[in-house]
Amino acid sequence: MWHKISFRLLKQELKRGELTIMALAIILSVTAVLSLSLFSERLQSGLLERSSEFLAADRVLSSRRDIPQEWLDKADKEGIQSAWRVIFNSMAFANDKLELVDIKAVSDGYPLRGELKVADKPFVEGQVTNTLPPAGEAWVASSLFQALSLEMGDSIEVGNSRFKVTKVVTYEPDVGFSVFTDSPNVIIRYSQLAETGLIQPGSRVRYNVLFAGTPTQLDNYENWLLPQLNDDTHSWRSIEDGDSPLARALNRAERFMMLASLLGVVLAATAVAVAAQRYCQRNYDVVAIFKTLGAGKQQIRKIFVLHLLLLTGISVGIGILLGWLIQSYVINWVAEQLGASLPSASWRPYALAIATGLISAVMFTLYPLFRLISIPPLRVLHRQMVGVQAVRWLQWILSGGTIYGLLVLYSQQWWLSTALFVGGAFAAGILLLIGRLLIGAGRKAGMQAGSAWRLAMAGLQRRASANSVQMLSFSTAIMLLLLVIVMRNDLLADWQRQLPADAPNYFALNIAEEKVDDLRAMFAREDIEATDQYPLIPGRVTHHNGTELIDEVTKENREEVEQGDREEGFGRELSLTWRDTVPPNNEIVSGEWWGDNAEPQVSVEKQAAERLEIKVGDTLTFNIGGEVFTVPVTSLREADWGSLQPNFYMIFNTSTLADFPATYITSFHLDSERKDELYQLFRPFPEASLIDLDAIIDQIREVISQVSIAILFVLVLVMIAGALVLIAQVQASMEERQKELVILRTLGASGKLLSRSISYEFLMLGAISGLIATIAMDLSLLILQTQVFNMDATWHWRLWLVGPISGAVVVALLGRLACSRLIRRNTAQLIRKLI
Amino acid sequence: MLIQTQQLEKIVETSEGPLQILQPIDLAINAGETVAIVGASGSGKSTLLSLLAGLDIATHGDVLIENEKLSDLDEEQRAKLRADKVGFIFQSFLLVPSLSALENVMLPAELAGHKGAEKEARELLEKVGLSDRWHHYPNQLSGGEQQRVAIARAFVGQPKILFADEPTGNLDSKTGDKVEQLLFDLNKDYGTTLVMVTHDTTLAKRCQRILNMEAGQLAEASQDVA
Repeated sequence: MWHKISFRLLKQELKRGELTIMALAIILSVTAVLSLSLFSERLQSGLLERSSEFLAADRVLSSRRDIPQEWLDKADKEGIQSAWRVIFNSMAFANDKLELVDIKAVSDGYPLRGELKVADKPFVEGQVTNTLPPAGEAWVASSLFQALSLEMGDSIEVGNSRFKVTKVVTYEPDVGFSVFTDSPNVIIRYSQLAETGLIQPGSRVRYNVLFAGTPTQLDNYENWLLPQLNDDTHSWRSIEDGDSPLARALNRAERFMMLASLLGVVLAATAVAVAAQRYCQRNYDVVAIFKTLGAGKQQIRKIFVLHLLLLTGISVGIGILLGWLIQSYVINWVAEQLGASLPSASWRPYALAIATGLISAVMFTLYPLFRLISIPPLRVLHRQMVGVQAVRWLQWILSGGTIYGLLVLYSQQWWLSTALFVGGAFAAGILLLIGRLLIGAGRKAGMQAGSAWRLAMAGLQRRASANSVQMLSFSTAIMLLLLVIVMRNDLLADWQRQLPADAPNYFALNIAEEKVDDLRAMFAREDIEATDQYPLIPGRVTHHNGTELIDEVTKENREEVEQGDREEGFGRELSLTWRDTVPPNNEIVSGEWWGDNAEPQVSVEKQAAERLEIKVGDTLTFNIGGEVFTVPVTSLREADWGSLQPNFYMIFNTSTLADFPATYITSFHLDSERKDELYQLFRPFPEASLIDLDAIIDQIREVISQVSIAILFVLVLVMIAGALVLIAQVQASMEERQKELVILRTLGASGKLLSRSISYEFLMLGAISGLIATIAMDLSLLILQTQVFNMDATWHWRLWLVGPISGAVVVALLGRLACSRLIRRNTAQLIRKLI
Repeated sequence: MLIQTQQLEKIVETSEGPLQILQPIDLAINAGETVAIVGASGSGKSTLLSLLAGLDIATHGDVLIENEKLSDLDEEQRAKLRADKVGFIFQSFLLVPSLSALENVMLPAELAGHKGAEKEARELLEKVGLSDRWHHYPNQLSGGEQQRVAIARAFVGQPKILFADEPTGNLDSKTGDKVEQLLFDLNKDYGTTLVMVTHDTTLAKRCQRILNMEAGQLAEASQDVA
């Protein structure tokens, strides 16, 4: 019988709209979690797929030695595509000229991700190709045409083989960001590698195998492969590793999405908590009537647990449907915007969303339900009776535990969840305290003011306990909203700063010293924006504090390294430079820049210093063209590797290196419409090599714009969640207000006075919440920016005005709206509604 | 003897010390009797009613219903007893706002697990003259109509005892008269024992016995005194 009553109550209450807020809260939490995680998962894999183009694969296995064929066969069995890419340096001859080139020998399938573009003449836009050079042919970079005075169809000699040059390679997805120190590329077929005779024991060759497949396939393969790899010889990479601007952008976006989604989940859960409380309060009378009419506790428990489960079930179902619809629309829209399709998502977001809905509905209702069931039947005669009050701490533990559980469930990161939770709980405590103090102060101020204000302040004060909880959720909602908005803006601005519209899109290197002035003049004449010109001197670091550095740790020398007789060095020649001033985008993090000091010394880039354990005060010995000298390290620098400007591990003061012969390097920005002029412009500098970064920059921009859309979507969802918390909270206080309104109305208060006092009360509540929210937001932001996003901390003074004002306006509007029906009712209607 | 009290006392703790709401009361009500408890506001009438109905627990003494001591029963057993033997009518009607008139009337029978609750409820609604309003919700009904629904609900399951707390207190006199008539008519038809709290003397006079409550003390009053 009880289940019939439960069904009937639910049906009628749903029809009459009495469960709307509770249902909406659950629907929203499910919708938010589902669409956020579906969207971020799909976008994430879409982004990864796009970004994988920068690797030309999903994963890359690199090795200094040949890679066993059985590893490729195993990948094949798993359904994973693979392709060879072998890279090494060699000299290329043509037209009696000699140039050091990077030979890239690739097999069918290359590139597995992204596209290769080729053209029929140098320095023009290329076309996508799905083929590779046929046997006996080579495709070469534009800069090699310059260096070797090539014409299309000429032959170049590489090792024992001759290759006919048939195409210009204009874009290789995997060209990387250290391009300005690399030589021009020559692409040949992997099958022809052996004929060149260039690969000999001891040759410095980088063997790469590219892999592409589904995440599951790759994970399985990874589990099989990784235990067999040798750390010294092999490296296994995906796009998320590394320090490229793209990897950093992706990591930050991922963290932002995660954090914003977490905040969204907390907001939605808060809405459920507030609504659950009200849901139970509304049923106090019903339970008292039921008990009077003979219902036992057991029966009541069954009726309301089923009622709640049914409500939750329906809401979760609607939430899932809605979340799916929203994200599929948004995904379509995003895909349209970007002209790309996004891969489908796994079952995880669905499970996560259902769990969130169920957990938050059940856990947040547990304590209110406990109180509901304990309502004494005597309430039918004494309406103020509310049953058990004693175990309030249980509610705090249950709610706190639930929110923490949801954080962990969603992020699967203990550290992040704990930090957010502990920080949040601490902030909540302080917010409650400040809120009460401010309400107290407001009451005093209100006594001096007109009657509407006085009523408003008295109302605030009277409901101080309820209000400070209400204020806590207002503050939390406003704070989280502000936080997400500000974080989004800062993140976008940061990316924009890294990649401004006039970011350098070409590197010119190999410029002769005597041509530097001409080049500078050309840039000025042609109105081309260029970075400083840096001298480039190839040299090796041979000793650190007198200890010899070796290129590579091998079986033979491992013992010496372990005993400290020798250390592992850079393993290659470095590009050295000199300067009087700290380069733009560089920052001294330790020691001091030399200024006018002419004593020989060097400044070392921080990451390189960390790898080789170099500290300020250490000495480094260099060998430049046979000349050996030792200098002290006087500073360590942090360089911005994402800035698309020349960056150097080692910078000397002028007096140390000025006498060595150098070539120069610079980067500059040339509008893409002027691309055709490039050949002409660089005619007077035939020795210069040019490297085109346009395609890479475009790709990064595209990724960033995808991420920006994603962030916007998250923002909208968080805003809806925030608004719902506000509405649920205002709704929750309606009953109390209704009673007061009846009394004030009966005593003859005018509608105008009442509506003003209500508006003022909410205005004050909103302003105080806004102020608290802003303070808390700026503090949290400080921590987030410095600890999570590795950005510089900034204060947001403008928000100190925007926060309280917008809080006041929004909360007052919502409150006023919710109360307007009450004010319009006449006294008789109000009284009747109450009894 | 249907209802009996033995030295029934109620004391509540207040900030100014214990407050005796009911002085020791000995009372006996026979099956089929109609009893009115009259007295001023705050005299303790409603407290007595809540103790007789097992909604509240006495500080001292006992209530026996059909020789069953309420103090021997736990909350669940008292609820069961109410479900089986007791019906209620309240001043503020106390209908479940989200259930229709018919569903409100069916409620006690359903809670008691009776079969055929709907048929019985429809018959009762017809008797109280609301057969055409059975699908209406409480807020769609006038005060008089709501109380008629409450009366129908009180008689569903044919309880032996009916407790009424100021049944016409919220109604205008004309509506109140109609409701009153209905209550007594049904009570006669069903042969129910009626215990009614009221300060309406006219209403009280329709009962066979009138008990006067004054400062927690109960005394039998003659029809004339009331």
